[in-house]
Amino acid sequence: MSIPSHSKEPELRAHVYDGIQEYDQKLPNWWLFTLYIMIVLFVIWWAGYYQFGMGRTDGEVLDAVVSQIDKAREKELESIDDAKLWSMSKDPEVVAAGKATFMTPGMCVTCHGPDLTGTLGGAKLPGLPLNDTEWKHGGKPVEIFKLVRKGAPDVTKGMPAWEPALGVKRVAEAVAFVLSLHKEGEPVTLAADAPGR
Amino acid sequence: MTKKVTIEYNDRIVRQFMLASVLFGIVAMLVGVLIASQLNFHELNLAKWLTFGRLRPLHTNAAIFAFVGNMMFAGIYYSTQRLCKVRMGLDWLSNLHFWGWQAIIVAAAITLPLGLSRGQEYAELIWPINVAVALIWVVFSVNFFITLHRRNEPSLYVALWFYIATIITIAMLYIVNHLSIPTSWTHSYSVFSGVQNALVQWWYGHNAVAFFLTTPILGIMYYFMPKAVDRPVYSYRLSIVHFWSLVFLYIWAGPHHLLNTALPKWLQMLGMFFSLMLWAPSWGGMLNGLLTLRGAWDKLRTDPVVKFFVAGVTFYGMATFEGPLLSIRSVNALSHYSDWTIGHVHAGALGWNGFMAAGMFYWLAPRLWGTKLHSTAAANFHFWFGTIGILFYVVAMWVSGVMQGLMLNATTADGTALQYPNFIDTLQAIRPMMGMRVVGGVMYLTGFIVMLWNLLMTIRNGQPVNETREITVEVEAEQDTMSWRDTFQNDPVLYSMGALLLLMGWWFLPQGANLISLLCAVAFGWLAVRKFQVSHGTWTTWYERLLHNYLPFTVLTFIAVVLGGLIQLVPTVTVNRAKNIEDRLQQVYTPLELAGRDIYVAEGCYNCHSQMIRTLVPDVLRYGDYSRLGESIYDHPFQWGSKRTGPDLAREGKGPSKKSNSWHYKHLMNPRSMSPGSNMPNFAWMSESPFDQKALPAKIAVMTTLGVPYPVMEATEIKMKALEQGVTIAKNLADEGIVVMPDKQIVAVIAYLQKLGHYDVPELENRLGTTPLGVPLPKPGSPDGYRAAAVLK
Repeated sequence: MSIPSHSKEPELRAHVYDGIQEYDQKLPNWWLFTLYIMIVLFVIWWAGYYQFGMGRTDGEVLDAVVSQIDKAREKELESIDDAKLWSMSKDPEVVAAGKATFMTPGMCVTCHGPDLTGTLGGAKLPGLPLNDTEWKHGGKPVEIFKLVRKGAPDVTKGMPAWEPALGVKRVAEAVAFVLSLHKEGEPVTLAADAPGR
Repeated sequence: MTKKVTIEYNDRIVRQFMLASVLFGIVAMLVGVLIASQLNFHELNLAKWLTFGRLRPLHTNAAIFAFVGNMMFAGIYYSTQRLCKVRMGLDWLSNLHFWGWQAIIVAAAITLPLGLSRGQEYAELIWPINVAVALIWVVFSVNFFITLHRRNEPSLYVALWFYIATIITIAMLYIVNHLSIPTSWTHSYSVFSGVQNALVQWWYGHNAVAFFLTTPILGIMYYFMPKAVDRPVYSYRLSIVHFWSLVFLYIWAGPHHLLNTALPKWLQMLGMFFSLMLWAPSWGGMLNGLLTLRGAWDKLRTDPVVKFFVAGVTFYGMATFEGPLLSIRSVNALSHYSDWTIGHVHAGALGWNGFMAAGMFYWLAPRLWGTKLHSTAAANFHFWFGTIGILFYVVAMWVSGVMQGLMLNATTADGTALQYPNFIDTLQAIRPMMGMRVVGGVMYLTGFIVMLWNLLMTIRNGQPVNETREITVEVEAEQDTMSWRDTFQNDPVLYSMGALLLLMGWWFLPQGANLISLLCAVAFGWLAVRKFQVSHGTWTTWYERLLHNYLPFTVLTFIAVVLGGLIQLVPTVTVNRAKNIEDRLQQVYTPLELAGRDIYVAEGCYNCHSQMIRTLVPDVLRYGDYSRLGESIYDHPFQWGSKRTGPDLAREGKGPSKKSNSWHYKHLMNPRSMSPGSNMPNFAWMSESPFDQKALPAKIAVMTTLGVPYPVMEATEIKMKALEQGVTIAKNLADEGIVVMPDKQIVAVIAYLQKLGHYDVPELENRLGTTPLGVPLPKPGSPDGYRAAAVLK
């Protein structure tokens, strides 16, 4: 690094534009290197990806993570059956967590109502009542669980799928909360407009 | 030989543009404050023509084209006459330019609230206004180039370089991005769709920032800054290097608005790295501005003009550092669609554009009205109040953007589910920040109103002055004599072209051949550097000669700005067509869905909702499988969006996000009934206004012309199909206890929303570009195609 000498004034260009003059200073080194480093980075990166096939494509990276998540969810699902869901519905901690999910504004409560009747102040909401024994898509705990996870067969007329956003655990908790308002072994009827009936 | 000439400058036109800029600036900021407030108080969406979706385009268009546009014209008209030592072109052209531009602004201010929109950001104005803009821009160009042609100063000062780049580039960008086919006097479809539309739009959108909000203001800086501080410009050679690198590199950076989307990766890589390379050229402008003050820093304490200029240039430096940072794909994964971007553009718009404008107005007013500024104290108040306002605004948006980005991306401990599955939770978290931004905006607006008062008082104290000057002209000046051969056949131009050609070979040739091209490029670059070291005297002399020749200079500038666009757009427009899309093909909209889509576009839903699920885990967990190119290939215009004030809607009609018709009905009527805490406006009028059935046949005819595979349908058949589908939806709603006529807008919008995310998977043998086993063939001119083929081997 040379020390800038103050004795030598920078060169002033002779031409004057409407009273404006220009020095002709050297380009600052750090500035030049900022430019050079970025150019070199570009060449290295491009060569690495396209020339030497380093790194995976965005789709590959994503598919790998998603398949991991799917595996983890499947593992969580393995242990869940009717008995497990009924037992969860008796665990106050699980029920409280499920209730919190259920009652979150914009979630279950929006369509099924805070009292699970499918109504709000007498007005009908888009959702069906969950406090009776009539079920449109099957009343067994695993059937309810599957419906919440995957949504109704024709979603235009019903339930969206919740597993992608909530994950297995929170769906199971919410189902446990609903089951906590029912009794194991209570008679279950299929709704008149149930699909496949 | 010299002679004396007396010139009377056209300062009247400068005064007109300046006052128009101040006035429209205040209007733009007022609208900004209103729409910022609407984000916290949805009740402020007072009427259908005052909703966020309609007013946000008004705000951006007013800020860019009315405020900065008029400011730019004032600065260019004032400085060009003086730098060329001649009166501005033709008076009638100047007047036509002024009144034409104001008429366009008024037309925009009427049509946008009426819901007439092309649905592309900063390109919302309808086609008759587009034609007017193009014509008035030609008037401006002709006026400007007449001035250059008649100039009494042989050499072009750096400010003029930037003006030239502005004029030709904006003409190119504006015309290409507004190519569309009318379906009526107020509606048209962009000729581009899907990814092509996205790429062209952001080539335009990004370079509207570059060549409307940056280069003209840099030119203005190069004239007014040395004037205000009475010091020479820091470095002529920095001017040269930063001008040419800036105009060449900027045009490539557009794809950084589309990072992590379905856009082919090579374009994303170009967008990201050209943005990073752009950092130094941008800072070259800042350095030349700030270092011009060397030896005159004391003026910063006393002169409000210098304060505004220095702060403006500093904000420019900040924004142009932040820009490359946000262009890094991993940073962008967090920042994109969030308020961080909003903060970034406002650091530029309020800090750089607004303060450069204020500094210029405070400098100009006393000179244009032959008096002194009415109140320095008020100008100082404006400066400090405005600065604090910007900081409030920008800091609020940083915090908001980072916080919402982190919340949206957060997953539960085991990584299998979202921490905040409810989008509204993330919205509630940033509400205080959205409030703080209003405070910042109001402070900034207050400063501007104080300026208006200060300027009006100055005007009252003075009289309009048209400067008359006697100048000495060299009669036999060497100007405008360069041959085209001299323009192109010289080392600087040939070496630059050669290097670029070899780089293109490296990008686009198949494996192996491209490596040779790269090695040649490196060798060639080394050769060029050697040549420059040996004979840079001839390079300098050639450039000095170029500055004496405005047409060759203009042509070379045009080549520098056109290349990036050509290289990025041509392969996309030719390769990424429906027939080349491999795995998924969008289903064509039915007439009713198309009617609904046009309402969606007109209401400006894209201002808050994207339709692009990025290749990022949190996006996929929240919205479903990531979006593919083929899924928006029939969308004229594309609606990928740039901001998520609400959730993404790419798969709103299919998969986990799908909701019932009644949900959508209730949500559109009053979003808070289904989504408590939402800040979306009510669209209740949609249940009463019918959708435009009559327009459908013309619309579908244009769509067919553009290559969307509609079956042949009679006009009556189209209308009947629309109504039939409307009846189905209305019946379904009736089952849920909702009474609505099938011809209402809300039915069409529901039909459209329920269609989002529907695609077909073409049979393998029908796909072009794949072998019978489904292995993709390398695509000529597509780096991604070559890579896929190479990796599969």
